[in-house]
Amino acid sequence: MAMRVALRCFSANFSPKLPQLSQIAQTPATRLLWRTDAARTLSTASPLSTALKFTDKHEWVRVEGGIGTVGISSFAQEALGDVVYCGLPEVGQKLEQMEEFGALESVKAASELYSPLTGEVTEINTELADNPGLVNKACYEEGWLIKMTIENPGELDGLMDQAGYDKFIKSLE
Amino acid sequence: MQRGRPVVEVVRLGLVSYQEALRLQQSYVGRQRVAAAGPVPGPAPPHALLLCEHPPVYTTGLRQPYPPHLLDRLRLLGAEVHRTDRGGLITFHGPGQLVCYPVLHLASFRKSLHWYVGELEQTVISVCSRFGIEASTTRHTGVWVGDNKICAIGIHCGRYVTSHGFALNCNTELSWFGHIVPCGVEGKGVTSLSAELQRDVTPREAVPHLLRAFAQRFDCELTGDRTGCAGTD
Repeated sequence: MAMRVALRCFSANFSPKLPQLSQIAQTPATRLLWRTDAARTLSTASPLSTALKFTDKHEWVRVEGGIGTVGISSFAQEALGDVVYCGLPEVGQKLEQMEEFGALESVKAASELYSPLTGEVTEINTELADNPGLVNKACYEEGWLIKMTIENPGELDGLMDQAGYDKFIKSLE
Repeated sequence: MQRGRPVVEVVRLGLVSYQEALRLQQSYVGRQRVAAAGPVPGPAPPHALLLCEHPPVYTTGLRQPYPPHLLDRLRLLGAEVHRTDRGGLITFHGPGQLVCYPVLHLASFRKSLHWYVGELEQTVISVCSRFGIEASTTRHTGVWVGDNKICAIGIHCGRYVTSHGFALNCNTELSWFGHIVPCGVEGKGVTSLSAELQRDVTPREAVPHLLRAFAQRFDCELTGDRTGCAGTD
């Protein structure tokens, strides 16, 4: 169930932003082939660089114009329950890959967040202060947590793509 | 390959300060994390279930909506005040309250905080029913007898290792709660096993019921039952 939800979030996320890819989004295999090649040959200005990458702690990162947007996956928000509070870092804070950068609180449980990359926080999602439930309702869109610079783009290669992540969460169930 | 039931070591700390219990929890958390991160897949260290009572202390959670003057007022009552990284708002711990800190690696159980908190609630409900008390959950986390909370819950989880836990009122002096809005829930009260049964029920009396309920609920094997110090063997 978590996987179906994750895919639904994912394609809903992409169709408004990348109209030229909407056909491809219906055929997962083709989409993945294209994206893997594209990441190596195209510049960061290309919309194809906005593919989601995942950590094994269930954070995702989306790169646009050299800035990474970070959030948690649908699998993670389901496992957490209703988020009631987001403890996020300050803008300007420097993060190492896998360093704790904050916590999400849900049902009286605070769960730590881990930075998928090394970089500096450029923006935090201030919407979450009044509306922490966005993390549950729109984990890949309005429920994003922070934006950060990407100091070592090579770190992205070590993260899972959508297919890899889907396989990973299947192995957890 | 058949995986055995997880092993959970019971550690009775007796009356310890909040800080000391926190320090001990962290050493058990460290033990779990080091083993999980290690390259050699040896036998996993047992999980731990710390049981204790605290001298009077008010603790706050990850969210901090408390102005310093409010916390100072609480100190004047003779209680300590401690800020923590657990979920949940302000609560009180004191003698007569059985405080339980399960330090579990959720990979051996289920990797869901939502599930974990629910299981703790059900464990406490089971303890209450062994005393003939009908307790339940509501939309407010914790375990309730009608409109009165009998057990508070507040958890922290990092890399799937849990810390902090729950606090069951046995014969706690409930007036301590009158100085705060417990867990930020307005208009509700607090109760205890003693208050519900109209007789003195000590934490000591509740412990065996808790251990049985926990072992059943989490389908685990309890061992040890030693007075803990360092948590390394």
